[in-house]
Amino acid sequence: MIIQAPVKNRTLDRETIGARHAERTGTIPDSPGGDRSNPLAGAPAVIQVGDLWKSFRSGFLKRRIRGIEGVSFSVAKGSVFALLGHNGAGKTTTINCILDLVHPDGGDIKIMGRDYRDPASRARVGYLPERPYFFDHLTGMELLQFYARLLDIPRESRAARIDEVLEMVGMTTFAGRRLKKFSKGMLQRIGLAQAILGDPDLLILDEPMSGLDPIGRREVRELLMELKRVGKTIILSSHIVPDVEMIADSVGILKDGSMAVVKDLNELNPGFSYTGDLALGRTRPHWLPSNNSDLEDGKVRVQVGSVGELRNLLNDCHRESIPLVSLETHRSCLEDLFMEINREAPQNPEVAR
Amino acid sequence: MTGNILTLAASTFLETVRDRIFYLVAVFGFVMLASTAILSPLTVGAQGKIMADVGLASMVIIGLLVVIFVGSSMVRKELDKGTIVTILSKPVGRREYLLGKFLGLNLTLVSMLAVMGLVFLLMMFLAPGSFSLRFLGAIYLTFLELTLINAVVVFFSTSVSPILAAVFTLGVFAVGHLSQSIRDFGQLQDGLFQRQVSELVYYLTPNLEVFNLRGAVVHGTPVSAEHLVMATVYCLAWTVLLLVVAGSIFSRKELRGE
Repeated sequence: MIIQAPVKNRTLDRETIGARHAERTGTIPDSPGGDRSNPLAGAPAVIQVGDLWKSFRSGFLKRRIRGIEGVSFSVAKGSVFALLGHNGAGKTTTINCILDLVHPDGGDIKIMGRDYRDPASRARVGYLPERPYFFDHLTGMELLQFYARLLDIPRESRAARIDEVLEMVGMTTFAGRRLKKFSKGMLQRIGLAQAILGDPDLLILDEPMSGLDPIGRREVRELLMELKRVGKTIILSSHIVPDVEMIADSVGILKDGSMAVVKDLNELNPGFSYTGDLALGRTRPHWLPSNNSDLEDGKVRVQVGSVGELRNLLNDCHRESIPLVSLETHRSCLEDLFMEINREAPQNPEVAR
Repeated sequence: MTGNILTLAASTFLETVRDRIFYLVAVFGFVMLASTAILSPLTVGAQGKIMADVGLASMVIIGLLVVIFVGSSMVRKELDKGTIVTILSKPVGRREYLLGKFLGLNLTLVSMLAVMGLVFLLMMFLAPGSFSLRFLGAIYLTFLELTLINAVVVFFSTSVSPILAAVFTLGVFAVGHLSQSIRDFGQLQDGLFQRQVSELVYYLTPNLEVFNLRGAVVHGTPVSAEHLVMATVYCLAWTVLLLVVAGSIFSRKELRGE
């Protein structure tokens, strides 16, 4: 039996981000905390978001609807920060504020030291929207040429760079096809291609896995891991916890427009747990963990909380010739935290003022 | 900055080409042929004048249709579909974006007027004794008029829905051609209020009659160089004013809802 190694090396990637801006003072928490042995701990913040507020007016009576309230975080160079939250929690609003697509009511955003309202602050930023849609009268190749010109990529290296990103997102074959004939997954891929086209230092990806089949999701995940490996800073918005766990170094969980928690995933995750199904004989061994539960056909499910306990369990099974029918690895701390924060139903977004 | 504007203009132009806007040029050709075939027998001795009249008027109407239908939804379509967000997430300013869209549509106008103008001049050349270089002046003034209307529709499209933008622009086109008459009519009234309102209408809307020398040209009146220069300055002043205000409104606009 192959046991999946519970190893996810975060030694180099690990990065601490600022804590929640609880005092709402307007200062930005840019000094990393947590693991001081982290080689990236002193890395400068690529983006700093401080005490960001945004509400919207809606309906004939122009009632005020809550968007986000006092959101603060910063992301250090080379790390992946995930914005987690239920639908309507404020993930996309936060991103829209960062990109100056909507105007915040208050707060401050600095992108690589520049004010977010300066178009030049977006020169080294790549963005994939939640539901990417592009000029459907263009082909994939023409679309990337259009963006390459906006990004001021030199004419002589333009074609090579476009070919490179098409290859990276697996769209080389479809580059000559008009976008109106693209499927949702293909649009997502070409969207990712335009986001990485300018070789940006900061990537902002709003639900990058949505619309993709399992193979596509895996490919995009691997691409993001690769981008992370080469030192790109990534802000990822998602409500899919396993995706975030696999990619992100740190996470900010939004609840009803407020940043409920900002955490380094390593701080959050004390270890793994394992669930194994054993096929027992007539007798129940005395060493069986007390949290076991009976299944059908004489099988029993046991849960252990560490690699050491797992090793003991496997040794005991081997010694007494008890077959291990199946074994699952769990790394559910983030999900637990997410569920804990979202235990209560979302509040009415209408603001009484 | 200029590079971004030109890139956006080229993209807008390509979009209109692929949306088959140029099919309208075929409509123009058909109108010209029809005017020759149907009206000529009814207008003995004035065939050239009728052709010139119909041809120049058709250019304005077709150009106006293109400007209003494409221009009124040009920005809103990108807002609704979301294509605008990936463009503005690049180092592109909102004023650059708007100017790019305006110039792209104007490029479409220039191309259409060039083709229609060539067809028109060819037809006039073929009609004995009808050809004159004065027509070039009239076509140029038509281009200026449609450029100004393009700025008007871009101005409205940044703040109201496409339907309202189209209606308002059509209104400006109508009032713009009547503003001098409205002012003259107002001055003949006894009441101070009527006189002031007619003055207000005159100064708040562009006087599009400045660009309308079509009737005069058809009847042989030459277009002076001074008039062409003044009309160009007048068009530029209004266009710049409208685009500056439109850019200011668009810069404050929320491009995404909740």
